[in-house]
Amino acid sequence: MSVAAKPPVLSLTNVVSGYKELQVLKGISFDVGAGEFVTVVGPNGHGKTTLLRTISGLVPLRGGAIRVNGQLVSAKPHAIAALGVAHVPQGDLLFPEMSVLENLLMGAYLAPNRAEIDRRLDEVFTLLPKLSERRHQIASSLSGGERRMVGIGRGLMMGGQILLIDEPSLGLAPLIIEQIYGVIAELSRSGRTILLVEENPARVADLADKLHLLDDGAIVWSGPPADLLARDELLATYLGG
Amino acid sequence: MLDIFVSIIVAGLTTGALYALATVGLSLVWGSMGMLNMAHAAMLTLGGYVAFTASTSLGLPIGLGFLAAIVAGAVAGGLLYVLIVSNLLRHDKSTFESNVMIATVGIGIALENAILLTYGGQPLKQPLSVSGALVIGPVTLPYQNILIVAVVLVLMAIVALLLGKTRMGRAIRATAQNRDAAQLLGVAVNRVYFQVLVLSGALAGVCGVMVSSMTQLSPPLGNDPMLKAFIMCVVAGLGNLPGAITAAFGLALLEAFVQFVAGARWGFPSLLFVVIAVLIWRPSGLFGRAQIRRM
Repeated sequence: MSVAAKPPVLSLTNVVSGYKELQVLKGISFDVGAGEFVTVVGPNGHGKTTLLRTISGLVPLRGGAIRVNGQLVSAKPHAIAALGVAHVPQGDLLFPEMSVLENLLMGAYLAPNRAEIDRRLDEVFTLLPKLSERRHQIASSLSGGERRMVGIGRGLMMGGQILLIDEPSLGLAPLIIEQIYGVIAELSRSGRTILLVEENPARVADLADKLHLLDDGAIVWSGPPADLLARDELLATYLGG
Repeated sequence: MLDIFVSIIVAGLTTGALYALATVGLSLVWGSMGMLNMAHAAMLTLGGYVAFTASTSLGLPIGLGFLAAIVAGAVAGGLLYVLIVSNLLRHDKSTFESNVMIATVGIGIALENAILLTYGGQPLKQPLSVSGALVIGPVTLPYQNILIVAVVLVLMAIVALLLGKTRMGRAIRATAQNRDAAQLLGVAVNRVYFQVLVLSGALAGVCGVMVSSMTQLSPPLGNDPMLKAFIMCVVAGLGNLPGAITAAFGLALLEAFVQFVAGARWGFPSLLFVVIAVLIWRPSGLFGRAQIRRM
C-alpha cells in the first residue's frame, strides 16, 4: 500500500514528556498519514504507553510539538479528543458500573446528534457482534477479551480520525489476541488511521505500514516491519530476541 | 398501639428523608470527586437562613423563599469550586483529598461564624413550614412531615433522572468511575466538578430549609445532619448514591425505633454502634462495590 502522498493526520516533533523528575520521552518525532497503520514497538518500561498518553493529553507535554491535522494540540485531554484523537488505553479503563451499551454511548459523548450515535453504534455492533449480545451486561463482569473489545468499540464510537491503541494483546490468551488483531486488521482495511503500540513486532508484521522501535524514550530504528524482523541483531539488542 | 407504630414510622421516614437529602449531596461530591466537603453543613445552614431572610425581611412568597435557598446553595457550591477546589486541583493532585478536607473545614467554620455575626445566636423560626395534620382514624400525619417526604422523594427522582438519563449525568457518573477514561472521551472533568458542587450545594440549600422547618434556625443547624449524613455514607460505602439513600431511611427508622423502645438518648449511640459494626465487618460499606473480575 502506498501511503507516501497522504498528509499526516498526526505529527510529532521532538516530543518530550515524563512524570515528575523522570523524563520518559526524549525527543520523539514521526508522522502518521491518513489511513496509515503505524506501530511503535519496544520493551516494557521504555515509554510506549507514555507516548500515547502524551498524545492524548493525559501526560503533559514538556517539549516539542504535537499536531493533529496540522493543528497544535492543547494540554487538555477533552480538547484533544474533540480534535478526533480516540485513545484505547492499556487496561481498557472502562466504566465498571456501567453496562456495555452505556460504555459505548460514552464513547459518543461528543457526537453531534442522535442519528450519528445510532450510525456509529450500528457500525460497532456489525464489527463486534458479541458486544451487541452483551449490551446490557455490566462492564466489570466481562472477561478480559470482552473488556478489550468494549475498549476498542468505545474508541470507534468516538468517530475520531485517528485511533491510538495501547498494547491490545496485554494479558490475554493467544486465541483472544488473534481475535482482537483480526478486528484491528479489519479496521485498518476499512481505511482507519491507526497508531498502535506493542511489545511483540511479529504480531503486527502483516498489518503495519511502518514500524518505529522505541528504546529508553527515543526512536532508535524506523522502517517496514519485515525489515525489523529480518534484523536479528536489532531484535536481540532491543527486544530480547 | 397502631397510632404509636405509625407515629414511629412517620418520624423515621421524615428523619430518613432529611438524612437522605443531606447524604446525597455529600455522597455525590465524594463519589465523583473524592472530596469530603466539610463545608456541606454550613451550606445547608446558609440555605435555611437565606429562605428565612427571603420570606421575612424581603417578604417574598414561600415558593420564592424556597427557590432562594436553592440558588444560595448552588452559588455557594459554585464559588467553592471556583475559589478553592479548582486551585487545589491545579497543583498537586496527590494531596487533593486531604487538602480539600482541611480547606473546607475552614470554610465551614468561617461561614457558620459569618451567619452567627449576621443573625445572632438566638434560635429563629423558619417561616417556610406548614401547620396542621392529616387525621385518618387513630393516625395523625403532620402536613410538614408529608411535605418533607414528598419533596425529598421528588428531588431524589430528579437526581436519579439527571444522573441516569442526561448527558450531564452520564458525564458525572463516568468521571466518578474513571476520571482518565472520561477525559479521553471528551468529558471536561473540571466542568463536571463544578456541576457536581453546584448540584450538591442546591440540595444542601433545600435540606437546610427542610431541617430548620422541623427544628429551628441556628448557626450550627447543619452540623447534626452533616454528621448523620457522614454516618450514612460510611455505612453505605462512600460515594454509593443508592446505597446512601437506602442507609438513610433504614438507619433513621432504626433510630426512631430505638428512641421509642430504649429512650431518646439511645438513638444516636445506636447509629454509632451500626457504623462501628460495619467498619469492622464490611469496611467498604454495606453496599460497597462487589466486582466480578474474570481473566
